[in-house]
Amino acid sequence: MRTESFAVIAAALLLSGCSRGSAESSVPAPVEIATKSGIAMVYVPAGQFTMGTGQGAADTLPAHNVTVSAFLMDKIEVTQEMFAKLQLSNPSQWQDPKRPVERVRWLEAKEYLNERSRAEGLTPYYNEKTPDWQPVPSANGYRLPTEAEWEYAARAGIDGPYDFGSADKLRQYAWVGENSNQQTHAAGEKRPNRWGLFDMYGNVSEWTEDVYSATVKNSSSSTADPIAASTGGDAKRVVKGGNFKSTADLARATFRTGQQTGNTDACFSSDVGFRAVRTVTPEELAVLRK
Amino acid sequence: MSTPTLLRAFRPICAVIACVLLAAASTGAQGTVRDRLKSSLFKIAYETYVDGNWEIFAMNADGSQSKNITSTPSVNEHYPLVSPDGSKMAFSVDSGEGSENVRSLWVMDIDGRNRKKIADHAREPFWGPGGKVIGFLPQEYERFSVTDYSTKGMSFYDVASGKIAPHPNSANLFHLYNPSFAPNGKWIVATVHAGMGVSHGTLLIEANGTRIINLQIPGCRPSISPDGKHIAWGPGDHELATAPIDLDAETPAVGPRTVQIMDKTNKIYHVDWSPDGKLLTFSRGPNLRGDASRAGTFQAAAEMVGAYAKDWNIFAVSAERAGVLDLNTAAEGEFAQLTTNGFSNKEPAWFRSNR
Repeated sequence: MRTESFAVIAAALLLSGCSRGSAESSVPAPVEIATKSGIAMVYVPAGQFTMGTGQGAADTLPAHNVTVSAFLMDKIEVTQEMFAKLQLSNPSQWQDPKRPVERVRWLEAKEYLNERSRAEGLTPYYNEKTPDWQPVPSANGYRLPTEAEWEYAARAGIDGPYDFGSADKLRQYAWVGENSNQQTHAAGEKRPNRWGLFDMYGNVSEWTEDVYSATVKNSSSSTADPIAASTGGDAKRVVKGGNFKSTADLARATFRTGQQTGNTDACFSSDVGFRAVRTVTPEELAVLRK
Repeated sequence: MSTPTLLRAFRPICAVIACVLLAAASTGAQGTVRDRLKSSLFKIAYETYVDGNWEIFAMNADGSQSKNITSTPSVNEHYPLVSPDGSKMAFSVDSGEGSENVRSLWVMDIDGRNRKKIADHAREPFWGPGGKVIGFLPQEYERFSVTDYSTKGMSFYDVASGKIAPHPNSANLFHLYNPSFAPNGKWIVATVHAGMGVSHGTLLIEANGTRIINLQIPGCRPSISPDGKHIAWGPGDHELATAPIDLDAETPAVGPRTVQIMDKTNKIYHVDWSPDGKLLTFSRGPNLRGDASRAGTFQAAAEMVGAYAKDWNIFAVSAERAGVLDLNTAAEGEFAQLTTNGFSNKEPAWFRSNR
């Protein structure tokens, strides 16, 4: 048997439910597609998971059940090459086309997402004339993930702190403080998570759409596709995932922090990037898979 | 009367004199800032958003007799820079919305007549000493972005011939913003963001060569004083500073800060020297993101060109003072507010008035 064939079968077994953890949920295997402009995305199936944790930092409490609708998510973090291709000036400290874009303001991420939507003939998801570029729910364009979508995708059906098991394997899956030389690296170099998503636990942390709150369960949120929406002002937004500076603790799927959206000249961080998601219907997915 | 007795008798008077001298030293000159502005012969141009449109206004140094120079209800003008002799003004114009916007550079007489386009897809003009050339920064991409560092290269427009030539090191200059000439014409000072091997910094760029010196100061938007001996800049969103700089040295460096203007509540930006180097203007307002619902505006940090900055106004302080001036606690005479309507008044630019 050729090595490649063995790898495909092994991966299929893993994705179809070959057990790696006791708290694993059963969800259909995700599917990788290429967008109209050739960007690899993973179809993350709808499902239910336990968001947050029962013990840990106060803002990660409490553990609670959440259901998430299906969506497409970028296989890798948005790279500087992808950013520049849409004629957006690269703000990154660590200049390299293959590395993730960082030091990117929250609105600049949205600018990229709207431009990528336009480039692929989709309706931009964000209304650029509203404060914070409010979502247009009927639009089919690219957007930032919600916090729930991000955590669901990172956990990939596993209840533990990392989808791959314990912290001692972190180096295999993520660029974090202990192996990064304190800088970003080319996106997609480490092992992907169970659902085929790279760098969910390291390289750069990632913007989400949600407003940051003191606990992960926002009392006003539904348990179905929850989102902590802005009530005005320059609210902090939730940033998820570890980065090249993180300790193992700060790279957990449940870790969250709030960041100012960067509406300043001087203060925005070199360890925050993002990846795109998009809501798709089963019919659209069928077309994209062809 | 013995000497000690004499001293004791005059002690209260000495104390009063000392207080007066100290006050004069801290404000840097006699009289309040507003008194000095009232007697000034200089004027100040600035951008403002009135009746749904960006315009360029000019006012007396004390804020009186503000006048709309552009008066173009359908054209959005901003970022005024006046020639050293006060006769001409360079500025930018936005035509369009969102990423379809085209930002172009123009020059006109100081009274608003004889408008002439210099370049499309360009930004941030700056006058050369003598007013013979206008430097500017071409955009990195044709697609518009309000982000200030979306630039690549540097060009010079010859005012007499109308010809444009690149800086000799243009191919290696990118992500610069807010450039300005030093009075000696030898150096251009500018901020860079994520470009030229620098994460974020203020650079001296040789005007006719390839030397680049990182001044190693935090923050952005530098400006050299008219005598070429000081630099003013914004070390952060809530601070302006000046410090000595020796531009004749082989490797110019910035000395310790002499003036620090602080405002923990508001943002303070766009510092500019008066033509005699004795006063500084700047814009100041709440830390808000631009209100993009207005025509011709963009959603970005309030200080950005094209972002509507609600409740922002123009202010002035003495450049001759020393030490820290906290705008939230300063005495009324130590600074002056020059505009009051809060209609996104930004980018003040001093000029010599010939009329």
